[in-house]
Amino acid sequence: MRDYQYNYRNKRENKTKMTENIVEVKNLTKIYDEGDVLAVDDISLTLKKGEIFALLGPNGAGKTTTISMLATLLKPTKGTATVNSYNIDEDPDKVRKSIGVVFQEPSLDGDMKAEENLELHAILYGMSKSERREKIKEVLKLVNLDDKAEMYTKNYSGGMKRRLEIARGLIHNPQMLFLDEPTLGLDPQTRRKIWEKIKQLNEELKMTILITTHYMEEADVLADRICIMDHGKIIALDTSENLKHQLSGDIIEIELENVHNLSMIPQLISQLKEIKGIKDVKIGAKGDQGVADMTMNLPAGMKNMNPQMMQMIQQQMKEIMTDAKKFVRATKKFPMASNFFSRAPLEAKERVANLFKGNKDLLEELPKNMKETILKIQSGEYEEKQKNENPLLTISCENGAKQITEIIQKISNSDNLNIKSVQMHNPTLEDVFLFYTGREIREESSNNTEDVKKLIQMRQLRQNK
Amino acid sequence: MSRKVSSYVKIEGRMRWEAIWVLSKRELLAFVRNKTRIISSIAQALLFLFVFSGGFFSIDISIDGVDVSPMAFVASGIIAMAILFSGVFGGLGIIRDRMFGFMRELLVAPISRRTLMTGKTLGVALQSLLQCLIMAVISVAMGFFGYDPSLIWRIILLMPIALLFSLGVVGIGLTISTRLTDFQSFGLIQTFLIMPMFWLSGALFAFNSVPEIMQIIMMFNPISYGVDIFRYVILGVSFFPLWVNLLVLSAFAAILILIGANSFSNMQIS
Ligand SMILES: Nc1ncnc2c1ncn2[C@@H]1O[C@H](COP(=O)(O)OP(=O)(O)OP(=O)(O)O)[C@@H](O)[C@H]1O
Ligand SMILES: [Mg+2]
Repeated sequence: MRDYQYNYRNKRENKTKMTENIVEVKNLTKIYDEGDVLAVDDISLTLKKGEIFALLGPNGAGKTTTISMLATLLKPTKGTATVNSYNIDEDPDKVRKSIGVVFQEPSLDGDMKAEENLELHAILYGMSKSERREKIKEVLKLVNLDDKAEMYTKNYSGGMKRRLEIARGLIHNPQMLFLDEPTLGLDPQTRRKIWEKIKQLNEELKMTILITTHYMEEADVLADRICIMDHGKIIALDTSENLKHQLSGDIIEIELENVHNLSMIPQLISQLKEIKGIKDVKIGAKGDQGVADMTMNLPAGMKNMNPQMMQMIQQQMKEIMTDAKKFVRATKKFPMASNFFSRAPLEAKERVANLFKGNKDLLEELPKNMKETILKIQSGEYEEKQKNENPLLTISCENGAKQITEIIQKISNSDNLNIKSVQMHNPTLEDVFLFYTGREIREESSNNTEDVKKLIQMRQLRQNK
Repeated sequence: MSRKVSSYVKIEGRMRWEAIWVLSKRELLAFVRNKTRIISSIAQALLFLFVFSGGFFSIDISIDGVDVSPMAFVASGIIAMAILFSGVFGGLGIIRDRMFGFMRELLVAPISRRTLMTGKTLGVALQSLLQCLIMAVISVAMGFFGYDPSLIWRIILLMPIALLFSLGVVGIGLTISTRLTDFQSFGLIQTFLIMPMFWLSGALFAFNSVPEIMQIIMMFNPISYGVDIFRYVILGVSFFPLWVNLLVLSAFAAILILIGANSFSNMQIS
């Protein structure tokens, strides 16, 4: 029989003696064959025993995929990891026994009572009868569900379900707990309560916890260290303090209005960057719309793409745009083509429409919404949906009060650019994210162009293999 | 599909009996708690019974020269059908587990897929057995087979036979439900696979009363042998020899459990 108090003290002693790594990830990579998605792109990191570690990133960043690999549900395409000193490829059984996992998606059996859900789990993890009886009571109490043990879980509220799932993950005394978006979709109070539980687990049981989230605040409040992930890559890994510290100084946000010619903005940015004391300037739009002015309108996610790749795309784009057959073939190879097309400027759409003039057969082969748009353009019925979003300059500078006058001067000097609003604040984690990724973290920020970028990276990765 | 499948990590290793038992118990509990399912299946069986044994086809039935009452004939067929329907529908539980996410919990547990599959199979088979027993007891109580004390041990003997029969059927259920991700396509399977198997099993009409071509088709339906062996045990008469029935049912069970195990092992979380 395991004694909880005893265990607890034991672990604490261990912790003071050594700061060993409980998780070691090396070059972990995952490509989903279905849809050709590079979900996790060569990440390496270590978790220290006893810490709360947050994987922070927008939808589709690859957080769940990473957890699935560490929990030995998914095989990595490349790379490996050890969890509790067991290798995930060689000892999946031992890894599983030593970890608790709370999935992003619900995973309770609603037709069983809460207690039965826990009982089944305990048996699957090979616990003896007396052991599990005690442990089930203990974890139910821990998440304050001891008076609801006899309820069918389908009658639980969202927050209760989440708490029960966390409790379930704790039954078999794991040393490492994976929590995939534990507070997703919960109201602020419930979220706060779950945060408290997580802190409590970490402090009282000395449990190492890996939590994924796309809430900045969650990572900020809970985590000892934060790993910012985007497009399957680690873009920053440090304590919240240090991450913010890297952006020491001030953040100035300037919203422009009535911008007719977006092509002046890159020029403006380089002018601003010349000002002494300015560290970086990022451009986004209110509402996460990109403003880069290119043959095809590339949204925010692609602004930070390396220029060679950009050129490559544009080159191919030009070629495709001259031949209806090639265009059709490209749309078939490229699942996101029709989304891309709908984002393209009117001029580009008209060119495509011209391409298909008198080419009814080929037109039939295009995706439906593309075909419809082209037919409308050809018959002159097409109206472009105008989305007038204001460009937003986010400027990181050493001393906002000093530099702001010069910044405003520079902007007013350029013709046609009016300032709508100016804001200044201390760097937040959100700014950190913006400056690392070039875009703001938002709940629904996953967009197709990012997938395009991933596709291209993946092709290169495969060619290099 | 097959490529993605390979990316799941599967635990190899021995079977864990306690895990198998808790998984089967879960299926049994689900069955016992689902009162509407039990009641509606009984109601449906009784409906078939009254329609087919009394109303439309009041023909004399004789098997192997022995006259059998239509009531006893249809009732024994319906008891066999309990195995077919609950076996296949029990497999549906897998679709539900995947849709509602519980499968994730099962797949990340430190148990082998073989353990999981065995637990599921056993659970569904026990469900079918229970359903079959309920039907048999009702039929006996209502006097469909007359009042003969030997019925008691006949029903007891029926249980191991029913288990053998249900293994093949559960294999069908598992194979289907590990490949479907939602209930919609299940309707199609029911219309084009389960119902034909039911109608062409001889549960409701005598094998020797239909045209030869239909007899040949029925001989290719493994369910026919299950129905026949049930009659052998309950009524003491059958169209096929006992050893043929046993042989076909054993082969049916072995093949479908293998196919089912393979599908189960390659199953993905939707
Ligand atoms: N089973 C799958 N098959 C194909 N692609 C997948 C699969 N699961 C995830 N992906 C893709 O892999 C990428 C990373 O997904 P993942 O679920 O790991 O992201 P995430 O960071 O957990 O996002 P979220 O915040 O939405 O949960 C996404 O582009 C997603 O579309
Ligand atoms: Mg996720």
